Amino acid sequence: MDNRIRELRARLGISQLELAQIVGVRRETIVFLEKGKYNPSLRLAHDVAKHFGLPIEEVFIFN
Amino acid sequence: MKKAIISFIVSALVLAGLALWATKGRFSGNAGEILMGAIVLVVVGFAVFLGVSRLRSGLRREPCEDEMSRKVMTKASSLAYYISIYLWLFVMYISDKTSLEAHSLVGTGILGMAVTFVLCWLGVKAFGTKIG
Repeated sequence: MDNRIRELRARLGISQLELAQIVGVRRETIVFLEKGKYNPSLRLAHDVAKHFGLPIEEVFIFN
Repeated sequence: MKKAIISFIVSALVLAGLALWATKGRFSGNAGEILMGAIVLVVVGFAVFLGVSRLRSGLRREPCEDEMSRKVMTKASSLAYYISIYLWLFVMYISDKTSLEAHSLVGTGILGMAVTFVLCWLGVKAFGTKIG
């Protein structure tokens, strides 16, 4: 599963730490998500997508 | 935060036990005992590292634990358990071949389990939670 978190975060101009604090996880989790080393729970995927104002399938791309 | 403090207390107790063993126990200073002491120090170092990492998260106003850190722990634990079964088989094999005392073998097995867990945790961290 790929994702566009890094791109969307850069577009909004927020840091990994800020995004982590917004969605209630550790910064390390955002780092792992961006590197594709971790598949988030449905809840976290929903929270991230909601923050970017996009549906989940536009943030997380299922291959 | 509470878990970080607990890991510091446990680490301090283990270090105190190690110091007592080295000074007042039957410590003879041979290579095996030095190696065992070094392994204990590595495991304690790992516990301290986890505690510090949790404290730093707390200071950054992040949760000390989240879904990924719990998943890393779960994955590392399950991998370590699986590997430990073979480790104990190896210890049983060694016990037949050597004249080591039972408590030495059990101590070696338990230390081996701790080291296996540390290695699994590092592996899961390095390659992500998708492995295994």
